Amino acid sequence: MSLLSQISNWLRLTAEGLCQRWGIPLLFVDLLAWMVAVAVIIGLVLLIVLIFVYLERKVSGYIQTRLGPMRVGPIGIFQTAMDALKLLIKEDIVPRGADKILHTLGPILFFVAAMLGYVVIPWDDKAIIAKYVDLNIGILYVTAVGSVGIIGIIMGGWGSNNKWSLLGAIRSAAQMISYEVPMLLAIICVVMQAESMSLGRIVTGQQGAYLSGWYCWRPWLWLPLILFFIAATAEVNRVPFDIPEAESELVAGYHTEYSGMKFALFFLAEYANVFVVGLIGATLFFGGWLSPLGHPDPLHIPGFFWLMAKAFAIVIFLMWIRWTLPRLRVDQLMALAWKLLLPAGFLAIFIVAVVLLYI
Amino acid sequence: MTTETRTRTEELTINMGPQHPSTHGVLRLVVTLDGERVVQVIPDIGYLHSSMEKIAERLTYQQYLPYADRYDYLNAMGNELAYVMAVEKLLGIEPTPRCQFIRVMMAEMNRIASHLVYFATLGNDVGAVSVFLYCFREREAILDLFEAASGQRLLYHYLRIGGLRNDLPDDFCAGLGHFLSYFPSRIDEYDKLLTKNRIFRSRMEGVGHFSAEDALSYGVTGPCLRGCGTDYDIRRADPYCVYPQLDFTVPTFEECDAMARHLVRQEEMRQSVRILQQCLEMLPEGDVSVKVPRRIKPDPGEAYARVESPRGELGCYIVSDGSEKPYRLHWRAPSFYNLQAYPVMCKDAWVADLVAILGSVDIVLGDVDR
Amino acid sequence: MRLSFLNAERRTLMPVHRSRREPTVAELLLIILEGAWSIVVGLYVTFINFWRTKVTDRYPHRDPALNWQPRPGYRGDFALITDRETGKLRCIGCQQCQNICPDGCILVVPEGKGKERHPKEFYIDAGLCMYCGLCVEVCPADALTMTPDYETATDDPRKLVRDIDYLRERGMEYDEVLRVQ
Repeated sequence: MSLLSQISNWLRLTAEGLCQRWGIPLLFVDLLAWMVAVAVIIGLVLLIVLIFVYLERKVSGYIQTRLGPMRVGPIGIFQTAMDALKLLIKEDIVPRGADKILHTLGPILFFVAAMLGYVVIPWDDKAIIAKYVDLNIGILYVTAVGSVGIIGIIMGGWGSNNKWSLLGAIRSAAQMISYEVPMLLAIICVVMQAESMSLGRIVTGQQGAYLSGWYCWRPWLWLPLILFFIAATAEVNRVPFDIPEAESELVAGYHTEYSGMKFALFFLAEYANVFVVGLIGATLFFGGWLSPLGHPDPLHIPGFFWLMAKAFAIVIFLMWIRWTLPRLRVDQLMALAWKLLLPAGFLAIFIVAVVLLYI
Repeated sequence: MTTETRTRTEELTINMGPQHPSTHGVLRLVVTLDGERVVQVIPDIGYLHSSMEKIAERLTYQQYLPYADRYDYLNAMGNELAYVMAVEKLLGIEPTPRCQFIRVMMAEMNRIASHLVYFATLGNDVGAVSVFLYCFREREAILDLFEAASGQRLLYHYLRIGGLRNDLPDDFCAGLGHFLSYFPSRIDEYDKLLTKNRIFRSRMEGVGHFSAEDALSYGVTGPCLRGCGTDYDIRRADPYCVYPQLDFTVPTFEECDAMARHLVRQEEMRQSVRILQQCLEMLPEGDVSVKVPRRIKPDPGEAYARVESPRGELGCYIVSDGSEKPYRLHWRAPSFYNLQAYPVMCKDAWVADLVAILGSVDIVLGDVDR
Repeated sequence: MRLSFLNAERRTLMPVHRSRREPTVAELLLIILEGAWSIVVGLYVTFINFWRTKVTDRYPHRDPALNWQPRPGYRGDFALITDRETGKLRCIGCQQCQNICPDGCILVVPEGKGKERHPKEFYIDAGLCMYCGLCVEVCPADALTMTPDYETATDDPRKLVRDIDYLRERGMEYDEVLRVQ
C-alpha cells in the first residue's frame, strides 16, 4: 500500500465516518472525493506547468549560452509565477469583427481537453483520480480527449477574425489529425504487449527485477517507442513540428489575437499537454510509477515521485530537441506522417504481433 | 455515372509585414495564397526610406561619412569604404599601405559579422532558435574588436578620407588573432547544427530556384549570384585596396537554390578568416593617414567606386561640381536589386518557404530603402 | 513509393548533380539513418554549448565581471575639459564643432576677444546627436571629449540637451581628451 493511497484511504474513512454521524448519503463522499482529487490534480498540474515554463526558459538559456531568467527571486525561480500573474491582470482584447463566443470558448475548450487527460493517469499504485475505475480503456480515453483540443484551436483560430490565426488553426487541425494515426499505431503495439488498454495494467505488466521489466528494453518495442515520441511531439505542436504557431511564418498561429487570461489558458494547456506526453510516455515505456530500485521500493519512495522523475526527464529531452532542430514545412510534415510514420507503424504492429505469437 | 463535388475555393491575400517577425525590418509582402501555396508575392518597400542620397547634397564630404554607416547598418565598414574610395578617386589620393590593409581587415570582419547575422536570422526563420544566439555570441566578439578600434559597436565612423580615424589599438591584433583561432571551429559547429541537419536541408534544397540568366538580367550580385554558379566577385573582378596581394577563393555553387546561397555564405566566412590571417601577417608598419586639406573641394567630375559587400556589389557614385558638397550621390545598393528577384524565386513556394527564401536572399531594409 | 521530401544526395562543397529519380528502399533507409545521425550530431552541439561559459551581460549590475564596460575612446556622452581648481574651461569658443556637426546639434555662444575668448553658452542636444565624434576631432584646443558614459536615457527629451554647466561638471572628471589607445 503506497503512501498516497494510505492518505486517501484515511481521508475517505474519516469522511465516511462523518457522513454516517451526520446522516449524509455516502454518495456525497464519493462526489467530494472526486472534487478534491480533481482540484488537487488541477492545482498540481498548474504548478508543474509553471515549473516547466521556468525549466524551459532555463534550459533554452543554458543551451544558448545564456543564463535565462535571473531577476525575480533567487536565480529567477519566481519569474514564471510573476508572468502568470501579469497575464491574469492584463486586459482581455477581443478583436473587432471576431466571433466573441468562439473566441472565448476556444481556449476554454482547449484547456479542459488538456486537463481531462490527467484523469486516468496512474500516479501511483491504485492512485488514479477515477477512483474505482482504473478505466479499462484508459489509453484510448487519453488519445480521445487529446483530440478534442483541436476543436478548441479551430474555434480560436476561426473566431479571431485573423488570417494568420486561421492558417495556424487549419494547419494545427491537419497536423493533429494526421499524427494521431501513427501515435495510435505505436500505442496499439504496447497494448498488444500488455494485453490491456488500462494504464494501470500496462504499468503492472512492466514489473520485473529492478527496471528490467520496462517495455523500453524489449527490442520489438523500440520502433513503437520512436514512433510514439515523434508523433506525440507533433501532437503537442512542439519543434520540429510547431508549424501551427511557427512564429517566423504565422506570427503566432492560432493564438495571435489572444491576450491576457485567454492566452494564458492556451499557454497552460500546451504545457499541460506536453506533460501528458511525458506521463503517458513514462507509463507506456518506462514503467510508470514503478521504482527502478526494485518492487516494492526498498527505500519506500512513493511511486508518484518516480513517475514525476520519468516524466520530467522525457519533457527535458523534448526541450533539448526543441532548442536544437529547425521546423519542418507543412507538406514535409504531412509526408512524414502519411508516407513514413504510417507504414512504419504498421510494420511495428506486424513485428510485435509476430514476436508475441512465436516467441 | 460520376459524381463531382466542387468545393468553392478562394485565394487568400495577406499582408506579411510591415510588422512581421521575419521580414527583417519593415518590408511589406503582399502575398496571395492558394491554401498553403503562394500564387503571387509583391514586395512593397519604402518604409525605411531615409533620403540618404539627398542628405549628401547638403553636407560636406567629411560630414556625410557618418551617414554612410547608417544605411546598410550591418555592413557599416563596407559602406564607409565605398564612399571613402569614391571621394579619394575624386581627389586623386592614394592611402598608405597600412591604411589599406586595415581597411581590408575591417571590411572582412564586417563581412563575417554580417554573414553571422544572416546565419542567425535564417536559423530563426526556419525555427532553429539556438543558432541565432550562437551567431550573435560570435558577432559580439567582432563588435568588441570594432569598439576597441573605433569607439562604437555598430556605426563605426572609423574610415576617413585619406586614412583612418586612428591607428589600431595595441591589443587589437592579439584580440583578432584569438578570435580567428577559435572562429573556424565555431563555423564547423553551425555546419553540424544547421547546414548538415536533415530538416534544414529539406527546407532549403530545391527551394527558391533562380537561374543564372535570371540573376544576371535582374542585376543580382553577391552570394545570390554566386549561388547560381556565376563566379563574380568585385574583389576579383575589379580588385581594390590590397585584395590582389591576398590569396583567397571565391566560392560558387551550381544549384541555384536557397541552399546554394547559404553554402556560399558559409564558405565565404571561412575565406574571410583566411584573408584576415594573411592581413595580420602582412600588416606593414607606418602611418595610417595621408594629409588631406581641411576643406575638401574636389575638381568637378564624377567617380564611381565599388566594393563587395556581404550582399553584393555595393557602389558609390559621386558627382562633384567643385564645391565642398557633392552635387549628387548615388548608392548602388545590392539588397535593392536582390529583392527584385524575390518574387521570381517565390514561384510555387509554400508559405514557409517565403521566409526561408527571404532569409537566403539576406536583405537589409536600410539598404533597400536608403 | 514517392518520397519527394527526402531527395537523396549528399552535398559536398563542390557542385553536385542532383538526382531526380525516386530513391530505392535501401537508399531510403540510408537517408533516414543519415537524417537521424544529423539530428544526433545537432543534439551533441547543443549539449556541449549547454556547458559552455555563459555570455549574458547582467546589465544593471555594476560589477565589471558581470557586465560589459566600454573601452577607452568609446563615443558616449559629452564633457568639456575643465580645470579642477579654477573651474576654467579649456574651450576657446571657436565654434568649429558647431560648424562641422552634421546634425547641427551643437550651439556655441562665444564671449570675449583673443586670449579671453570663452564660451558663454554651450549646448549639445544629445537626443539629436549621432555620436560621430567629428566635433571632438576638429577641436583645436582639445577641449571637448566624449566619455564612456553610455547610460543617457531619460524620461524627458529636454533633459537630453546638455548645457554648459552639465558639460563643465562632467569635464571635472577628465584631464585629457579620451582617445583609443
